Amino acid sequence: MYVGRRMTAKPITVSPEDTIAQAGYLLKKHRIHHLPVVRGDELAGIVTDTDIRNTALKEPPADSGGEILVKERTVGEIMTRDVVTMNPWDTIEDALLVLHRRRFGALPVVDGRKLVGIITKTDILAAFIDTLRIEGIGGVRIEVLLPRDPAYLLRLIGTLGEMKIEIRSLVLSPFREELVAFLRIGTIDVASVKARLRESGFKVPELEDFLG
Amino acid sequence: MEKRTFPHPLPRREIEKGFEILIGENRLFGAELNVDIIKKENTGKKFLVSKLPSRRKLLSIWALLFRDLVSPADFLALLSAEIQEFEHREKMLLVGKDRIIYDTQIVHAGEHVGEMTLFFLSEMDRNLGLLDYLRGRRRRIVYIDHIRLSQQSSGYASSLFRHYEELFRDIGFHQFRLSASLSVGKYYWAKEGFDCLDRDEFQRMKENLREYVKARELPVAQVDIDRLNHAYDIALFRRDLKVPTFRNAAGYYSLEKNEWHQEEQKVPLGKAFLLSTKPWDGYKIIYTNTPRKTGVIYSPGYLEHRPRAGHPESHRRLEKLVKAIRKDDLQGSLVFLEPYVPDLGVIEKVHPAGYLESFRNGVRSGKKTFATGDCSISEASYDVALLAAGGVMAGVDAVLNGRVQNVFCAVRPPGHHAGRESAMGFCFLNNVAVGALYARAVYGAERIFILDWDVHHGNGTQEIFEEDPRTYFCSIHEHPTFCFPGTGRRMDRGKGEGKGFTLNIPVRPRTADEEFLDLFEREIIPEVETFRPDLIMISAGFDAHKDDPIADLELTERSFVHMTRRICEMADRHCQGRIVSVLEGGYNGSSLTSSAVAHLKTLQGRSEPCTSAEE
Repeated sequence: MYVGRRMTAKPITVSPEDTIAQAGYLLKKHRIHHLPVVRGDELAGIVTDTDIRNTALKEPPADSGGEILVKERTVGEIMTRDVVTMNPWDTIEDALLVLHRRRFGALPVVDGRKLVGIITKTDILAAFIDTLRIEGIGGVRIEVLLPRDPAYLLRLIGTLGEMKIEIRSLVLSPFREELVAFLRIGTIDVASVKARLRESGFKVPELEDFLG
Repeated sequence: MEKRTFPHPLPRREIEKGFEILIGENRLFGAELNVDIIKKENTGKKFLVSKLPSRRKLLSIWALLFRDLVSPADFLALLSAEIQEFEHREKMLLVGKDRIIYDTQIVHAGEHVGEMTLFFLSEMDRNLGLLDYLRGRRRRIVYIDHIRLSQQSSGYASSLFRHYEELFRDIGFHQFRLSASLSVGKYYWAKEGFDCLDRDEFQRMKENLREYVKARELPVAQVDIDRLNHAYDIALFRRDLKVPTFRNAAGYYSLEKNEWHQEEQKVPLGKAFLLSTKPWDGYKIIYTNTPRKTGVIYSPGYLEHRPRAGHPESHRRLEKLVKAIRKDDLQGSLVFLEPYVPDLGVIEKVHPAGYLESFRNGVRSGKKTFATGDCSISEASYDVALLAAGGVMAGVDAVLNGRVQNVFCAVRPPGHHAGRESAMGFCFLNNVAVGALYARAVYGAERIFILDWDVHHGNGTQEIFEEDPRTYFCSIHEHPTFCFPGTGRRMDRGKGEGKGFTLNIPVRPRTADEEFLDLFEREIIPEVETFRPDLIMISAGFDAHKDDPIADLELTERSFVHMTRRICEMADRHCQGRIVSVLEGGYNGSSLTSSAVAHLKTLQGRSEPCTSAEE
């Protein structure tokens, strides 16, 4: 799970001399929110749709005279120069924590000073969708409550294996005093699976318990 | 013509009064059937007019046959109603030992054009049993003993029998029967919807046709003959292909020229064949209390796909359902149709040849499952899956030919999870998709709406049609976060040109009738209205029922009845009522049976399908 594998390589960029209007056009055209600013191939800063909006709101009314219009000012004037970056060998978890703690939307990825990509919240969400196989066809979710003892997890997997049930994903989380295993299993006959697990002594809660 | 309904039995004295009127008018007699009496020339009568039986006997036979719904005098008036200026003269009712006979001369513009004799009788329905028979639940039959009309009067015959069909339906008769022996008659009755009473007779007819086609090297595909299911199909078969027939002096036809049959005429293949068949006994169902003609596709072959023991998609589901369909008055009011083994070319419109081959090889190699653990297979699974797809094709044939107005295909294995190249969730071939593309290719059905109310998302059908703007796929199912196969979210609305022609309505676990039907009305019905389909297909799974173990919805039969009724209304408005409904899931024997029977009765247009389903 490295950033380099999940990032968007060759992102859309601007140079500090480009106007804000040009930057705004690119954001709209590509339906994105962040533009790394580069000089040559080196990262010089980042400009976001928020930066542009804030500049526009600060601007005095157009009839006040003498001022340069917002859209004619350059990206270099409003960009953030002190950029938080990632490198391709940082992990997705690193990126997730930075994005979450600092409330960023995206992080440029650099190799030394050279811009090599960008990783956004959307990329992280995609990683989650893939990991949990939310989009995978042919799976159904079940939850099983387990005591905090690995032997039970082993038995759970063993029981499913005996039934020749494919486990498509498995997430284990703490839940009150126990663990809850969220499984996606590859069968339509989930009723039989639940019945079998209950027979074997597992706690398979009713749907309502997790509907919140 | 006066419209009559017969909701309640009349008081005894009304029936007695009716008899007295007829006796006074000299129109009521006794009759003795006598097989020794040779048909008198041109009258065809098989009975002797004799002394009237006792009043008690009269009343008891009238109650038995007509359940006192109509008085004898009124009945005679209704039978002899004037249609297209044709009148019945010298008409009379005769009371035999076990039957009432209607006998009349037919007159047009003062000229005698023919005569007719009808028998009204009842028999035990083997599916009901003796006890029900004694309780009065019997199959009531109108036997067309004799009818002769001048050639110019055939339009009248059609109108007369349309009038009769309605009248007899309203007084609770179940079938017309006749012996199709006259030359033109054999074709005429088939075209009017009469089929061979003896199924083997029909099979022999088909074989004879097959041999004839082969001997003459006619350009007719074998599979087109396989598809013939009813004498009606033969009557309309290959109207583009004329073959020589030879007529004799008496007006009988032969396909061979010989010393009697000399006069050559070119006649369409099916008609020529029927004109020259041997006499056969025919019957036609009178749709008792059912305004719509509904077909059922079924073959015992569907029971031969045998997943491992304990598997939910067991052959017993269907066994039980079919047993219920064959019970009570349902069986008599349905048109039973048989599936056929389809041409692989049609299946390949959906599933690539390579996939079919790997499926066939998987089955032949004796493996226990195919593709996933859910898809348990047995020796016959490949053939049964083909027959299931062929069942939907036969259903499409029957509906788009006009044989029936709508049809329920009681097939298995189910199909809606099967994608182009993937088997899963008990499904191998996508039966509905095959039927839809067949309807488009063969009958030119442009716009097809597929409603999938199985509790699971119809991911296979969606995959097949998501880029096709002419096939609207709409699925209402338990939410993918909680239920197999984990697809079918609201945001999936189709792809490319097909964007906007896929609709998914996921519902939360524990959803019951009211909320479910509210979504159905608000979100699905307007889509059908806007789409204006030429054909509606239903992937009818009944596993959203509260008693079904496989998922978490809490519907009752009421939901299936409501949805069926509304879809019938939509079909009436946009596509002459044409609906092809295909069984998908449903794994609790009782709730599957009661739901599917309620669905079937609603397809027939019955007003209280639920109460009888719960009987």
